[in-house]
Amino acid sequence: MNKKFLFILSIIVIVLSSLLIFTYNNDFLYKDDIMRITKIKTVKVETNKNSLNFKEKHYYQKIYGVITNGNDKNKHIKLDYESTYSSVVTDKLKVGDKVFVDNDNIEGLKRDFYVVLMISIFILLLYIVGQFRGLLSVISVLFNIIIFYIGIFLYFKGINLLVLVIIESILFACLSLTIASGFNKKTLSAILSVIISIIFILILLSIVILCTDYSGVNFNNLSFLTIPPKDIILPELLIGSIGAITDVAITISSSISELIDKDSKISTSALNHSSKQIGSDIMSTMVNVLFFTYICAELPLFILAIRNGYSFSNFMHENITLEITRFLVGSIGIILTIPITTFISIKVFKGGS
Amino acid sequence: MNIVLAIILFLLMIYIDFKRGIKLFLSLVFNFLILIVIFYMIVLGLNPIICAFLACLIISYIILYFVNGENIKTECSLKSVIIVLIILAISIFIMTKLSRIAGFGYESTEEISMFSYDIHIDFTSISICLILISLIGATVDASIAISSALYEVYQNNKHLEFKELFKSGMNIGKDILCTTTNTLLFVFLGDFMTLMIWFYHGHYSFLEIMSAKTFLAEFIKIMFSAIGCFLVIPITSYITTHSLLKKK
Repeated sequence: MNKKFLFILSIIVIVLSSLLIFTYNNDFLYKDDIMRITKIKTVKVETNKNSLNFKEKHYYQKIYGVITNGNDKNKHIKLDYESTYSSVVTDKLKVGDKVFVDNDNIEGLKRDFYVVLMISIFILLLYIVGQFRGLLSVISVLFNIIIFYIGIFLYFKGINLLVLVIIESILFACLSLTIASGFNKKTLSAILSVIISIIFILILLSIVILCTDYSGVNFNNLSFLTIPPKDIILPELLIGSIGAITDVAITISSSISELIDKDSKISTSALNHSSKQIGSDIMSTMVNVLFFTYICAELPLFILAIRNGYSFSNFMHENITLEITRFLVGSIGIILTIPITTFISIKVFKGGS
Repeated sequence: MNIVLAIILFLLMIYIDFKRGIKLFLSLVFNFLILIVIFYMIVLGLNPIICAFLACLIISYIILYFVNGENIKTECSLKSVIIVLIILAISIFIMTKLSRIAGFGYESTEEISMFSYDIHIDFTSISICLILISLIGATVDASIAISSALYEVYQNNKHLEFKELFKSGMNIGKDILCTTTNTLLFVFLGDFMTLMIWFYHGHYSFLEIMSAKTFLAEFIKIMFSAIGCFLVIPITSYITTHSLLKKK
């Protein structure tokens, strides 16, 4: 067991480190010119004041570097760059960085190395803590991303996004459940519950949307989209909560199957009671996870807005509402799944015996 | 619409468990208020990283002691969460400095175009603060799940040795690990979907997406939430086992 663990661990380390070395040197894959910075000279420092009298330092820099790909490889060039203390939209460049260059302008940092670095740390820790089961969950994540990607692709071919997302969600649930716990009665009842929960959530949401017509929800955050935000909000909410729904479904259905295994004469009301007990444990966990991941996303915008003299109530009205909606819908989905799964699992396990 | 949804959520929580539902809902309101206060403190110019630490401590305190009660389980959880926070704060600091994900990406220029960028707050520390606060929920919950499960195991088998108890903690951890990875992944994909449609319209290639600040900032945030869970599992198992056996 221990030898096997170390063996797989060393394979993972080798694969990941070669991947890291590759991404660090993959400049030839890019069409845009990439420059490696060799020298940075700050020419001038200027202090600006905004309307609220915040002093901001602007650094005017000359960036020297070498092109590392394409036709101009090894050419030395010199570019101008302006960075600021706050770095709201600029980056603080350092010697050794690789940046994209387009028409003598610095377009941005080459960041793919950090994506791979993050994934490497993630997989390594996942394997050390979760061992083989941890790796399995990575595989199911990979499958899910592939399905997700195909779905987006089909959407651009003109298929309705909501229909696509419903089908995708069911596929996600089937895949991750079968990979995590094999094909058995537990999985079956969990999959059934996920499907029925999705239907319930959609009905509930449609009713709420029909009655309130998104009043009080502001779509400023989605302003960059070229399609109407109302088309995308429901599918997005569904995808965002499907992971949590699947988890709740499998947890409840496996604990009900445990309970029935241990005592085959257990009454339905006793089952109901204990699944509510388990449900309330998961409920607080999941709800908290969703809460902080969603609400915190608004912090940078909040700071920028208030520091520009925006009032708090204005901000609350215009920006944070959508994140709150996301959180609320996700949590409602999770909690609705608890009684639905209980009901279906009892039907599946008791009906069969 | 949000008010209607909030009422539905509240009713559902009460339906599942009356007492805990009310507590959970109240703690959410509290946490929201605390977040707003902390956000304001940062706006006033206090150090964002210290503010984030403070926020994390108060929030974990609320989730642990208010929702779950004061006992040996929550005490162990709080200790392990603090240790994990310190480890993570250092690694997040390094990662944010390296990958320069601070500030807004090219994709949000339209959204922020009406603001002046001269605000004299370093967005690098804002990013660190953001990542720290967003991972606290997942971390605290993984921790309390482990310490309560270990406590149950110990109550039923008092003869267990350190090694066995620690091992069962890790086993419970594996369940939580897969669950959390899944939940977080889909939260990420939900956000990512809109971004993906934007990237597609802008004719971004796969490699360009990888270098986009908006993508990487989201990605690092979610990854650190997951890593927080991974780290808290062995640490909580160790601390809980240790203090349970010491009590004996």
